[in-house]
Amino acid sequence: MNLTQMQAGGFGVVTGVSGDARFLNRVTGIGLTKGVRFQLVRNDGKMPVLLYCRETLIALNRPDAQRIKVRAE
Amino acid sequence: MKTRIALLGQPNSGKSTVFNMLTGLHRHVGNWPGKTVEKNDGSFEYDGVRYTVTDLPGSYGLTGVSEEEQITASFIRSGQADLVCILIDASQLERSMYMTAEFAPLGVPAILLLNMMDVAKAQGKTIDARLLEQRLGIPVLPFVAAKEAGYDRLKALLAKELKAPHRLKTAPAALQRERGSDVLSDGDAKYRWIRSILDGAVVQRTRPFGLCAFDRIATAPIAGKLLTVAIILAALGMAMLIGTPMSSLGSAIPKLLREPIGRMLSGWGVHPWIVSVFSQLLPNVLCFSVSMTGYVFGVSLVLGLLEQIGFLARVAFQFDGLLSRIGLQGKAICPILMGFGCTVGGAFGTRVMDDPGQRLLTMAVVWAVPCSATWGVVPVVARMFFTPMETFLLCAAIILCTVLMAALAAWIFRPQLTPKTLRCGMIMELPPYHRPHLLQVLEESFHKAWDIFLRSLITVTLVSLIFWALTFSVSGSAEDSLLYRIGVFSEPVTRAFGLGWQTFMGFLSAAFAKEAVLGTLNAAFLGQSSLVDAAFDADAAIGDGTALAYAMAQTVSKAEAAAFLFACTFQVPCVMALSATLRESHSVRWTIRFALFYFFGALLLAGLVYRIAALFL
Repeated sequence: MNLTQMQAGGFGVVTGVSGDARFLNRVTGIGLTKGVRFQLVRNDGKMPVLLYCRETLIALNRPDAQRIKVRAE
Repeated sequence: MKTRIALLGQPNSGKSTVFNMLTGLHRHVGNWPGKTVEKNDGSFEYDGVRYTVTDLPGSYGLTGVSEEEQITASFIRSGQADLVCILIDASQLERSMYMTAEFAPLGVPAILLLNMMDVAKAQGKTIDARLLEQRLGIPVLPFVAAKEAGYDRLKALLAKELKAPHRLKTAPAALQRERGSDVLSDGDAKYRWIRSILDGAVVQRTRPFGLCAFDRIATAPIAGKLLTVAIILAALGMAMLIGTPMSSLGSAIPKLLREPIGRMLSGWGVHPWIVSVFSQLLPNVLCFSVSMTGYVFGVSLVLGLLEQIGFLARVAFQFDGLLSRIGLQGKAICPILMGFGCTVGGAFGTRVMDDPGQRLLTMAVVWAVPCSATWGVVPVVARMFFTPMETFLLCAAIILCTVLMAALAAWIFRPQLTPKTLRCGMIMELPPYHRPHLLQVLEESFHKAWDIFLRSLITVTLVSLIFWALTFSVSGSAEDSLLYRIGVFSEPVTRAFGLGWQTFMGFLSAAFAKEAVLGTLNAAFLGQSSLVDAAFDADAAIGDGTALAYAMAQTVSKAEAAAFLFACTFQVPCVMALSATLRESHSVRWTIRFALFYFFGALLLAGLVYRIAALFL
């Protein structure tokens, strides 16, 4: 499942990221890499998702959030 | 002797605070050669030696394709810095160390500044800086950027390291690849290296994250948008309030200088042209520049505070979905709303955007927003022709048109300003709230306002001279001016857009200053005052509106009046906005393109309104 399909408040682990090199560079730079544990803070309708990962609150637009595969814990 | 220092860090690492505190007022804002990214250089003196500091553009890494990352990487690689001071946010240690991992292969002398130690301590985190030092091979200094106390130690360390520099210890092979083929495995290797460095050097409690009460509202879908808009509008009010004393001072200048200078020069028997330039044009240039500076100061102050507090990131989060439809980042909502106060403030407010292409695109959009001066003209002229109800509907139509014009401007300029290959959705950090450093924001706003004052003097003088040459006539009668001849000459064409020569002159003057419109109409329809008086001394030239209303009603139909109001609203905002856009975009080419778009766009729109209105009125 991808990031947008998770319930807000839940914890999860990133299992894979896909996209072009530019996108991969940006998510890696902000700390979203395979195997990292995170907490999904907000996931409302058309808004970007909000997640907490490596002590950082990250806002991620929805189309990009769908490219991040996760496993809920 | 080596004296060149560069500051490197991710966004929100406190880099600009360190830069400002280190250099104080000894700084200079320019551009990276051939780029639209701003370059901040400064210097400080320590122990009798002057050191230079370059603030590198903030980015999350060094191997990406963004303009900022490429500038930073090539600057460091070119050896233009003798020492790089890497800033790390101690409260987000693991993630912000990523920049260090990206920096490692470059092999340039460095020190590590562990900023926000106070926040880290409040999180219950302890960091063994000595152990980190041993593992990294470069000095590690725990730091609180907002506190003055640490800067002496920082300066001493910088001076010492410039004499006897340290480089990062050789890192694992995966780190050595600067631009690997596989971003993901490189990224993994970098975070593994970071883990190995931090392992045992950091003790922290991990606990689930919870939004603070304010953020629970600020990030909510509907309540958050209302709250955000309310806060930005309050900030706009504050900015206008702060700017008002300056703009009153500005408008007092022509009143004070005009008479005495005019009398003195006439007494010397100087040619009336020169008298007019010195007694009318130049005091007015000063008036414009001073009032503009006031707004810039106000906007810079409030947006600077909102930025430092961390609120602007929430704004970006809220409006990203809406504005991405016309290709803008969420943060663009700030300058756009500021534009309702004053276009200068709006153009200047685009500073909150980090991407240069996005900044320019937002400026293009901000020009469409009718400023408060426009609202001082449009309803007044509208009431000369229409009932209150019709005036209200007309104003509503103008607001609706604002959205259309903004979208059109974005649609036209977007392909070049943000090419498809560089477009990306929002991926950003919402930083924790910080107490703002008021003195620093004040100082910076003062600096920016002074800078824009000096630069605007030139542009405003140039454009004013052109407009003066168009309006001046020795006899004082409007019909002896160049503008009159242009108006009459082009009337066969402008008629098609619903504008006669008088209203076309009004339209032209709207590009100079919205305040000049009523005066120009007065001069054109009644011929009682000269056009120069109308343009450069708006207050004196307006007089009693009833005579103008009567004269206009004789020659201008309702449909033509409606066309004229749309034309004026979406005309180039004013000479000050033009000069602010030129200053902020660093691009004559783009400023001229925007001006052409709005000039012809407003004319076409007027033509359209004229045709449609002629059916009903």
